[in-house]
Amino acid sequence: MPKQESINEKWDVQLRKGTLELVILAALKTRTLYGLELLKLLHSFETMKITEGTLYPLLDRLKRDGMVKAFWRQEGDARPRKYYQLTEQGKAKLVALTNRWRQSVADIENLIQTPNQHTINPEGASDV
Amino acid sequence: MSDRELIHQYLKNLSKYLSRLSKSESEEVIREIESHIFDAIELQENSGQRTDAQEILDGFGQPRTLANQYVEHLLQGTPPPTGFKAIQSVKKGATKTLYYSMAALGLGVAFILITIGLGKLFFPNEIGVWSASQGNSVIISFSENMYPKSTELLGYWLSPIAVALGAGLAYFTKSVLRVLKQSIQ
Repeated sequence: MPKQESINEKWDVQLRKGTLELVILAALKTRTLYGLELLKLLHSFETMKITEGTLYPLLDRLKRDGMVKAFWRQEGDARPRKYYQLTEQGKAKLVALTNRWRQSVADIENLIQTPNQHTINPEGASDV
Repeated sequence: MSDRELIHQYLKNLSKYLSRLSKSESEEVIREIESHIFDAIELQENSGQRTDAQEILDGFGQPRTLANQYVEHLLQGTPPPTGFKAIQSVKKGATKTLYYSMAALGLGVAFILITIGLGKLFFPNEIGVWSASQGNSVIISFSENMYPKSTELLGYWLSPIAVALGAGLAYFTKSVLRVLKQSIQ
């Protein structure tokens, strides 16, 4: 039997594939961050330890899709950094994805908590 | 190799693989990644860790793999090469011609066969298949003046045979046309 750690890791990878965009949009919800800050922020959560090689191309795609905008800023003596911020379109998408995420969590939770309370419609759709 | 050389080599390779991007786009990607690497090294230094450029570079993955993720959108949905549209429309035109000639020929011959088959019932003496010149030629005719020294073949059997052949040909033509139609739409 595979170790629990390995199961967890595989699960995290699978789940991230679908949720990473939501994660990035949510991380930028109320603030402007540059790549390294964003990475450190994500690494502070157990299930979101993504690599640099995943983060930067994704930010690039979000920028191309108009979800975030990016600008260079230099603070004091530090080297210039590229900051990311949500656009109006990005904010709208965050709201949409958040709702969808909550629906998914509620659905899964519902199945886990009360697996036998759902009548099954022979037509295919389950009646909740 | 020192950290600095390692980073320089990595960025140089990355830049090579980003060549599909415009110069300014490619430079911006490099600049951002470079900025990240040096920031990360600084963080390691400030927290008293041993600096490890290789570890940071490992996080970015192979330069080629990383670069691919930046350029793949350029490769997806790439418009077909110039001239492709012309080839397509010539192909479409050719198929269209084939479609209509097939329709005219197939259905035309089928119509004639069925007409002969049905006609035989009404004009048994004028329509028929005759063998002339001692079997050297076969004539299908609709005529009151018979070819000299000819003997009629099939007789009334001509009727069902011609109708069946005509119907079969019409069905076959229709099937072929249905396939051809998909490629001209």
